[in-house]
Amino acid sequence: MPSATLLGQALISGVLAGGMYGLLAMGLSLSWGLLRLVNLSHFALAFLSAYIVYELGTKYGVAPWWSAAMVVPLMFAVGASQYWLFDRFRVNELASLLITFSFAVIVEAGIQIYWTADYRRFETHYATESIKAGPFFIPVLDLTMCIVASVLAWGTWMWLRKTYVGKGLRAAAEDADIAAAYGVDHRKLAYILSGIGAAYAGIAGTFIALIATLAPAQIWAWLGVVFAVVIIGRLGNPMGALLAGMLIGASESLAMAVLSPAWAPVVSFSVLIVILLWDPEWL
Amino acid sequence: MLLEVRDLHIGYGDAPAVWGASLDVDAGEIVSVIGPNGAGKTTLINAIAGLLRVRQGELRFDGADMRHVKAHEFCAHGIALVPEGRRLFVKMSVEENLELGCYLPAARAARAESLERVYGLFPILRQKRLQPAGELSGGQQQMVAIGRALMARPRIVLFDEPSLGLAPAIVDDMFDIIVRVRDSGAAVLLVEQNVLKALGVADRAYVLEQGRIMAHGVPDELMTQPHIREAYLGV
Repeated sequence: MPSATLLGQALISGVLAGGMYGLLAMGLSLSWGLLRLVNLSHFALAFLSAYIVYELGTKYGVAPWWSAAMVVPLMFAVGASQYWLFDRFRVNELASLLITFSFAVIVEAGIQIYWTADYRRFETHYATESIKAGPFFIPVLDLTMCIVASVLAWGTWMWLRKTYVGKGLRAAAEDADIAAAYGVDHRKLAYILSGIGAAYAGIAGTFIALIATLAPAQIWAWLGVVFAVVIIGRLGNPMGALLAGMLIGASESLAMAVLSPAWAPVVSFSVLIVILLWDPEWL
Repeated sequence: MLLEVRDLHIGYGDAPAVWGASLDVDAGEIVSVIGPNGAGKTTLINAIAGLLRVRQGELRFDGADMRHVKAHEFCAHGIALVPEGRRLFVKMSVEENLELGCYLPAARAARAESLERVYGLFPILRQKRLQPAGELSGGQQQMVAIGRALMARPRIVLFDEPSLGLAPAIVDDMFDIIVRVRDSGAAVLLVEQNVLKALGVADRAYVLEQGRIMAHGVPDELMTQPHIREAYLGV
């Protein structure tokens, strides 16, 4: 059995790493829950953003936040354009899965053609900085990512609950016809939401560029676990996505510390199954 | 004339079609449409609410041609629907359901006043305002559906089978409310299978059978017609 310090460190690292799951899950959850579109290309957009941030940073020396300021609006535009396609061809939930899968494959190929299949790493001094809190180390980048993810999750949650646009989106997700009868222009709101979801992929991508090693096939690496997070956090619920991400991150990290790294996926999907079967009231 | 329907043809999917229906509703009136199940009553009222496309014929509201108006723009003209089966946003709270009624800017400006009015009409909803609408009883859900329509500050309220699935004791209350809606200044178009009640509150009524208007007139006069006495009143 590992020491308490090691377990505590695993817990901290896991929760922080889980922030990335939450950040990726948020955009997916919004579009799935409120637009009934399962956007598999969300992961591809995140990695495309990561590569752009990497490219701008390594080739032109652009600071990551400036790259983010370019990539995030770009992704918003991509997301809104995707919705145009979905709307134009009246894509349903299942078809959206297939179409966005194809889109993700195309983006993956594009990345491979331009950046090759080699591993890429955007070396910055942020990556190694950490704060020492008692016996524990808190990596500054992961902490920043979690703060950004928390602010986004909370902000989005409030936006959905407190504004008329948010209420209109939630109402249209339940009954689009009746929402329309009270003046909700669902299509207009859907463009905005689809753009926001993709913009979140841009934000996630910026952090992926700084934290992870990039390779085209990595697009699919988090697919399973992020889907689990989306479902545990409840569709359309950004706060749920973030908390579920941290829960899965923490349990994976603890499993790796106590058992072995091979156990990480077993634990996260066991948590998913247990929560689905248990179906607790508070979820 | 507030609402003018002339020779309206509607048909979609498996729903009963309407073949050339004509009816009028004037400001301050309660107009009932009665008819058997599957006659096309819901189809007709959904088309007037903008949820279904009109194939042929005229649909005018306050003089404006509504045939090419988008579904989400009907409400801005002053048309509000209390749909069959209530169709509340069951995961949202009672108050959020009501707020959806005043989604459009003009109605939103009067949100506080409209909410007071609805809570005055249905005090129980004030107590339950933060509960998910899906947790309410059938009668309370119908109150939310009516409240949601009133929040839109409509000029006409379309009621689609408001008494369906309600306990008999509550049905009377529901018809009282419909009269109060009219008295507050909105016209009412009411589609009902409960013929006695529907004729009881109506100023005028239409009989819809197999997608066609078979008769219309004031309730007392309709109730003397042999066909209607036989088919709807069982005498």
